[in-house]
Amino acid sequence: MVVGDIATGTEVLVIGAGPGGYVAAIRAAQEGLDTTLVEKDAYGGACLNRGCIPSKALITGSGLAHEAGNAESMGIHADPAVDMGKMVEWKDGVVDRLTGGVEKLCKANGVNLIEGTASFADAHTARVAHGGEGQGSESIEFEHAIVATGSRPIQIPGFDFAEDHVWSSAEALDAKTVPDRLGIVGGGYIGMELATTYAKLGSDVTVVEMLDDILDPYEDDVKRIVRKRAEELGVEFHFGEGASEWSEGADGGYLLHTETEDGDESTYGVDKVLVAVGRRPVTDGLDLEQAGVETDDRGFIETDDRTRTAVDHVHAVGDVAGDPMLAHAASKEGIVAAEVIAGEPAALDQQAIPAAVFTDPEIGTVGLTEDEAEAEGFDPVVGEMPFNASGRAMTTGHTEGFVRLVADDETGFVLGAQIVGPEASELIAEAALAIEMGATLEDVAATVHTHPTLAEAVMEAAENARGQAIHTLNR
Amino acid sequence: MPVKEFKLPDVGEGVAEGELVTWLVAPGDRVEEDQAVAEVETDKALVEVPSRYDGTVEELFVEEGEIVPVGDVIISFRVGEDGDGGGTEGEATGEPTGDSDAGATESATGASAEAESEADAEEPATPSGRTFAPPSARRLARELGVDIAAVDGSGPGGRISEADVRAHAEDDGDSDDGPSVKSASDAPDPKPAPTPTDSGSSGRKSAVKKRGGSGAGSGSEAAATASTGAAAPGPAGRETTLATPATRKVARELGVDIDDVPTDETRDGEAFVTGEDVRAYAEAPESAGEAAEASADASAPEPKSVDVSTSADAAGATGASPASESVSTDETVPYRGVRRTIGKQMERSKYTAPHVTHHDTVAVDALVEAREELKPRAEEQGVNLTYMPFVMKAIVAGLKEYPSLNSELREDEEEIVLKGDYNLGIAVATDAGLMVPVVENVDEKGLFELAEEVRDLASRARERELKPAEMKGGTFSITNFGAIGGEYATPIINYPETAILGLGAIEERPVARDGEVVAAPTLPLSLSIDHRVIDGAVAAEFANTVMEHLEHPLLLLTH
Repeated sequence: MVVGDIATGTEVLVIGAGPGGYVAAIRAAQEGLDTTLVEKDAYGGACLNRGCIPSKALITGSGLAHEAGNAESMGIHADPAVDMGKMVEWKDGVVDRLTGGVEKLCKANGVNLIEGTASFADAHTARVAHGGEGQGSESIEFEHAIVATGSRPIQIPGFDFAEDHVWSSAEALDAKTVPDRLGIVGGGYIGMELATTYAKLGSDVTVVEMLDDILDPYEDDVKRIVRKRAEELGVEFHFGEGASEWSEGADGGYLLHTETEDGDESTYGVDKVLVAVGRRPVTDGLDLEQAGVETDDRGFIETDDRTRTAVDHVHAVGDVAGDPMLAHAASKEGIVAAEVIAGEPAALDQQAIPAAVFTDPEIGTVGLTEDEAEAEGFDPVVGEMPFNASGRAMTTGHTEGFVRLVADDETGFVLGAQIVGPEASELIAEAALAIEMGATLEDVAATVHTHPTLAEAVMEAAENARGQAIHTLNR
Repeated sequence: MPVKEFKLPDVGEGVAEGELVTWLVAPGDRVEEDQAVAEVETDKALVEVPSRYDGTVEELFVEEGEIVPVGDVIISFRVGEDGDGGGTEGEATGEPTGDSDAGATESATGASAEAESEADAEEPATPSGRTFAPPSARRLARELGVDIAAVDGSGPGGRISEADVRAHAEDDGDSDDGPSVKSASDAPDPKPAPTPTDSGSSGRKSAVKKRGGSGAGSGSEAAATASTGAAAPGPAGRETTLATPATRKVARELGVDIDDVPTDETRDGEAFVTGEDVRAYAEAPESAGEAAEASADASAPEPKSVDVSTSADAAGATGASPASESVSTDETVPYRGVRRTIGKQMERSKYTAPHVTHHDTVAVDALVEAREELKPRAEEQGVNLTYMPFVMKAIVAGLKEYPSLNSELREDEEEIVLKGDYNLGIAVATDAGLMVPVVENVDEKGLFELAEEVRDLASRARERELKPAEMKGGTFSITNFGAIGGEYATPIINYPETAILGLGAIEERPVARDGEVVAAPTLPLSLSIDHRVIDGAVAAEFANTVMEHLEHPLLLLTH
């Protein structure tokens, strides 16, 4: 035992205060369990501090500046000047309010908060080293533990995040100035969101992607719309190329070197390089093996439909427990973990987890695509409503994209939706509700939607699938 | 709402026809102006044909793989719908939408209960497939220890409510048999499954996009399903049939009466037949005959008398089809698109211009050294410096001295045009065939600039992303076969140019120097000329000038 080590006990120990951990802790406390939440960095995790929230703040800021400067057709003539330092300051203010809110909510619900780094000593004991020198450490005996340690950006060889000009998403969301030229390694959703943001802020953005298109998991027509718009914004794409190294350029900037599978090399002049090739779980320093918990070969903790690990009283939620690595999935898992511990009949039984990409236009998806539905043995029927037939879309000035609903032809049950277009991230919620409730196309089509709204397109798509659409030609 | 026809546009200068490789849209798809609707392969390029209209695809007139002359109608659109409430777009397809599905079809499709018969039913597993029940009902099922996949739903489409879960839990209490091990599909239905009436369901089908065949056909529909092809189809014997001209052509070629081809599809109330339907019908086993007649009776709502002669025709066609010939190991590759374009170009050049090829070798010690010295500098600027820019510069030096090699013979005008620009074509081997992108104004560009431009053009040639314009305007061409291997070749001139220089591999070869044989890096050259325009002596002198500049690369500075 280390000097200054004191032992305390708790019913539920939650490690990590991101959207998985803090939600789990609050629900556990609501269930009347004595709950302790350990956080080593900042309340709210990557989502609030370095991910979802900061990126949306900058996406909104850059979007507003871009829109204002590109609305001549509406009779608006403006040439907005962006003070990046001020925008980031504003973003920090938003983050502070939210993280402060998380802390307050935890306290108000009776969660014990400890700042420090936790590691397992055995199956029922964790050690927490308090932050800062000389702060000492303590041992915590727990009945149940919930591991919610999240993920961090993957670093690739040759690109050390310690270098000033090599950015992870965290640095890209905290830049005080806009780089003239931004190279982005990775055309996934993080790379694409930031490519759009910085292109709108005035950077010359070059995206280098190993695969032959952006946004790998999405359908071709979805990708095409987003890629086309990004190209219009001046984003340059180089597919089939992997980043190999950087070097100093003659002009004071840097050269991003890439290589194709065949060994063809290219270089691109950049001032910053953003590496956004994915995230990997954080389990280092956690001494999981002391608790008898193992990780798979990718470093994730395997869990069952009750969020339990191989050790029944140790749960894992969020990114550290594997795909889907989404904040809202983590929160759902956190709730299930707390309720299972409390003896409630909870389980991860959701029919689908929606996902959103905040590109321009946005993407919202939930459930099955047509191909997936067919692969699962359904006889899918598909309905679409293009936004260029939506009155509300026209009045926003954004008519790219569509709403697509996939349903089972025999029963009419809604199986999935793919939305690309304005506010797709919001619109997808209705489709998720339809899927979760077991709603049929008829249910969606017969639900009166407010006019004029973008959400009408969801209703229209359902009608289209039934061959009864009014504003599109049925097929 | 008007229907607009759309012709194959002029996709590149001087292109007269193209092969329609892929349709990117299907009838019923909405398209926007400028959206690509088809990929057409033409004069050394794969071009996307953009739509000129906003609208809905009405009909495709051309099959994939067909050669289409520029100006032929390939697709039609229904245009003029502009959304926002106002427009009366109810025109639709006018098909009745039998709403019989609203009632209650039974069957828990997809709720594939994993037979995880956990002995202690206190913690039911979460079903891995879809469950059509709201979250509250699913949670209740867990609470009551009920396998939700085994619950019969009473809602629309079989949706499970909380009441259904409770009812199931009570039933379970009565009968002690372990529940829930049986999979959903073979669970005996307690009540007869109300099947949608045939008329209703087929009406509904035609109004929506639906995959043929794969449906969980409820027995009574089996006869109709047979007509989609798996079983031996019988002649349908309609009076009229809708089909694209291409489909009709296929039918003629296979000797099939298009009115006999069975189909589920209709357009505007008429039977619609696709090329695939025709082929499937033509390839059906000959025994189709009688058995088919019976099934035709069963499936066709108004059985027509079967025309024996046409069905015999079909059978005859089947006999003649390649499928029944003895198996050959030869592979037939279509001579089309880029392959044919290359072929025609080669044929024209070789049969028009009398070729003479002049061979020589130049020792390039100094050139190798010069490149070694410049390479790191180039890399600093992100440029991979090859020998190609040096050769290009040397050629320009030669062309300036001997302009007849930078020329074009216009036979009709009886004149030789000596070109003022130095635009060098670089032959690039791609998966699709040979492409010759052109680097313009080589005389005005630096070595690094040339290196970068060649790299860019070559890589885009391999990706087939070159624009037709980027392969035009060449005045002299280079073919670097040495990149693959070899010393000498007899290149074919890129007509109507009059000369082409082939480069062998730069390698150490024996060279005689001061009476001794030593190893030195050498570059073999193969210069083909159009002997109508250029004399052999001039060709040799041109080669000497080029070689001099490669031997003493400092000379390149003088240009």
